[in-house]
Amino acid sequence: MAKWGMVIDLEKCTGCQACSTACQMENNRLPGENYQDVLYYTDGRQPTPQLKWFPRPCMHCEEPSCMHVCPTKATYKTEDGVVLIDWDKCIGCKYCMIACPYGVRFYTDEKPLIEPNIKQVFKGDGDLSWNPPYKGPQQDPKHGVGIQPNGVVSKCNFCYHKISKAPKGTADLDESNPELVEYVPACVRTCAPKARYFGDLDNPNSQVSRLISDKQGTRLLDHTGNKPQVYYVSGGGAASGAVPGTRSNKKA
Amino acid sequence: MATQTQGSGAVSAVLMAGLAGLVVSLGIAFFNLLSGGHSAFNTGSDGVSWGLPVVNYVFFALTSTGLTLVASVAMTFGNKGWYPIAKRCVWLSLVTLVAGFASLALELGHPFRMLWAIPLNAQLVSPLNWMGIFYAVFLVLGILKFLRIHNGDWSSSSSKQIGLAALVTELLAGGMLGMAFGAMAMRPMWYGNLVPLYFILTAACTGGAFAVLVTRLSYDSEDTMPAQVRTLMRGPLPTAFAGLLGITILVIGYRTVIGLWSNADGLQVWDAIVASPWYWIEAALLIGAFFLLLQRKALAVASVMVIGGFFIDRYDFVIGGQLAPLFKGSWVPDLIAYTPSTTEWMLTLLAFSIAFFGWALGEKMLDLGAAPQD
Repeated sequence: MAKWGMVIDLEKCTGCQACSTACQMENNRLPGENYQDVLYYTDGRQPTPQLKWFPRPCMHCEEPSCMHVCPTKATYKTEDGVVLIDWDKCIGCKYCMIACPYGVRFYTDEKPLIEPNIKQVFKGDGDLSWNPPYKGPQQDPKHGVGIQPNGVVSKCNFCYHKISKAPKGTADLDESNPELVEYVPACVRTCAPKARYFGDLDNPNSQVSRLISDKQGTRLLDHTGNKPQVYYVSGGGAASGAVPGTRSNKKA
Repeated sequence: MATQTQGSGAVSAVLMAGLAGLVVSLGIAFFNLLSGGHSAFNTGSDGVSWGLPVVNYVFFALTSTGLTLVASVAMTFGNKGWYPIAKRCVWLSLVTLVAGFASLALELGHPFRMLWAIPLNAQLVSPLNWMGIFYAVFLVLGILKFLRIHNGDWSSSSSKQIGLAALVTELLAGGMLGMAFGAMAMRPMWYGNLVPLYFILTAACTGGAFAVLVTRLSYDSEDTMPAQVRTLMRGPLPTAFAGLLGITILVIGYRTVIGLWSNADGLQVWDAIVASPWYWIEAALLIGAFFLLLQRKALAVASVMVIGGFFIDRYDFVIGGQLAPLFKGSWVPDLIAYTPSTTEWMLTLLAFSIAFFGWALGEKMLDLGAAPQD
């Protein structure tokens, strides 16, 4: 069984937000509530401030604190290493949002993050939070895939509706391989500078494993012990990206 | 001995005020929640996930723990001088727990789903799971204990065992509530293995405050109190209460200084807390109440001051732990701004109304001043 993980090359990332847009479309996300986002922040002070950016999906941790705190086991980890939410079990207590060090979870049943409230324009059918004008065919509440229902928490699912159908034994889900492209997560597939890699972390020959090894991949907030399965690599130069040390960066 | 109360004029006034509060708060809260869902709250995915309704829950659930502690002084630890307030405290511990649950239920996305989802899928490593189990077990044990003493069975072996089990489950529940926050290493404002102890200590203070307040309100004046109640209210109760409060004030002071002193990312929220007038109002209320209790004067006023001070303390604790933003990007400021909405305040009014209406109703109908006959 694969242990899916992601590598993001901060030297290649241009902060174009194509990944965020693709994620929004693929997962029927409301504006401002992308599972995947690129965060902008400033580093340094006048006269040499730098605008930096940092792509941040769910880390799909090896030891996910969000899973451990969930009183109903609605948040769970699959055998192939993906952290998912069973929307049918979620009671909307939001303890997972409290316990996630990365702030990558969303409770849609509240004021919109971005006005106007598009949920009022495209009102949801039944229990669904909204009815997006474009929506994918998949609606799989057991794996937290599709349009988010009311009263539950949602998060990045590594496009589980895609990766779970990949052929067994696949080392890397590479968008440049025509036979695998349909199984590649939307953010990886759409990344124009090819800054994202997705593959099996347990396979020493996968590209993600080699990148982590060769370029000394680091993990965000590693001191929390959550052990993310998303790794960041960079050249380490002054101009290249870096993993932010703190979460409360100054407003750009 | 018997300390039958007839119910003072204050009890009737509280009963009516509680009923009015229930009608107003339920009316406004239900209208807003049914028309707008949880958008009626000022909580959000980019900042404060647990808002004022959770503050209400923590405040009242811990008050329930504290009241059980006060009741246990007589019923578990055998100090007979405390019997005249024991039944009142047991009843109020049940009522305050219901008040907390009510606020929490209206905050949850799927409160009814919780009833089957938690028992069928219990996550054994989740503090929230155990907290729910212990409070639910206490609710059953507390009702059983109340029924026993209401029927005059104060000291049979089984009655004592139920009382002891209720006390243990309440302490475990309050501790688990503390652990729900204290285990969050990613939020330094909350993190620490002594948070359960802090919660139980402060629970005893708010439990003591409610016990003193409702006991005082149950009689028109101290002169009309039965002798045993008067003795308790003029000596052991305010003395023990003042001692607990004094220790707690010191602990709050040390927590503040440690928060201000440390440079850990996330603790910068202490600067904002101390800069707020509410922090100093809390300090003035608690310190003022401490001196009133030491002098055994104006006990009802002192109790109200303690209740007010600790409500601010719970607010600063629950909300403060969320104000330092997680990784949310440059549009989120250094500290997140949060002000509770009208609907959230209505849930606070609802919880207080349930607590006081429930107590006054019990005072009228259940002879809460009763004590053993020996």
